[in-house]
Amino acid sequence: MASPLEQFEIKAIAPIEVGGLDISFTNSSAAMVATLVLGTALLVLGMSRASVVPGRIQSIAEMSYEFIAGLLSDTVGAEGKRYFPFVFTLFMFILIGNLLGLLPYSFTFTSHIIVTFAMAITVFIGVTILGLVKHKMHFFSFFVPPGVPLAMWPLLIPIEIISYLSRPISLSVRLFANMLAGHTLLKVIGGFVFGLGAITFGVGGLLPLALISVLTGLEVVIAFLQAYVFAILTCLYINDALHLH
Amino acid sequence: MSGVGLALRLGVDFVAGVVVGVGIGLLLDWWLGSSPAMLIVFFLLGAAAGTFNVFRTASGQGGAVGFKQARDAETDATDGSDKKRGSNARDDSKSSE
Repeated sequence: MASPLEQFEIKAIAPIEVGGLDISFTNSSAAMVATLVLGTALLVLGMSRASVVPGRIQSIAEMSYEFIAGLLSDTVGAEGKRYFPFVFTLFMFILIGNLLGLLPYSFTFTSHIIVTFAMAITVFIGVTILGLVKHKMHFFSFFVPPGVPLAMWPLLIPIEIISYLSRPISLSVRLFANMLAGHTLLKVIGGFVFGLGAITFGVGGLLPLALISVLTGLEVVIAFLQAYVFAILTCLYINDALHLH
Repeated sequence: MSGVGLALRLGVDFVAGVVVGVGIGLLLDWWLGSSPAMLIVFFLLGAAAGTFNVFRTASGQGGAVGFKQARDAETDATDGSDKKRGSNARDDSKSSE
């Protein structure tokens, strides 16, 4: 039987090598391109024939816009509007990538740590630069604990800095672990459908089949939830960087 | 967020602190040739940072890092400025401090 981890294998579709670097167009790249095309198409088609009473696609486009716009104004406030394009792109990319990954025979690029880490480190570096540009040296007061004796500073400041540096790791691992675990679980239970069904003339396969239907629904929820968590944490980090004073 | 989701988040928050601490420790050891002194020191600091992360997540301070937020919340409460800041989760931090 196929390994439940086989679905995460990177396969080159069009091998390209430039100066010893393997930059092949892989199934992961294909999934990302599909996500970009679908996301762009959804928003462009949705708003191309905008009417007062929105149709289905227009509703989806408007709802996702309002969702992220609301998230930003709730967490960051009025200044958050400037960062809307970034957070919205990130949210849509992760959400559509997660959802596309649930289709049979597709590939979930968010189940690769390097993809989620690249996104998280972009957010982290961007937010740090934002804080440094906005507050100059005041940014470092972020790490200084209030009301703590001076003698404790050498201990607490490194802890704060490590805590700050651990942000991109917890941000990326959260998304990656959820997608990896969910998709592995689906494949394992899927294997039970065949394995149990084969020895009991199909009857034993019914229970895991019911379970996998429920789990697929749960995976759709997780796809939304993880995209939301990534977006809201990005908003909180932006808020932290902006409001140090 | 579901119970499993919260548990996973707390776990990841803790491990992330330890990973960064150990990473810094190994890098410093490699650079200074002081193996394993820096690894031990930064493992402990990383574990402390991880515990801090878990505490902040569990006490509803969201993705907060740093003390600035809590200090500002205190001054906001005293001078009564109406500056809009933070989500509901963030507002809880005012009462916990």
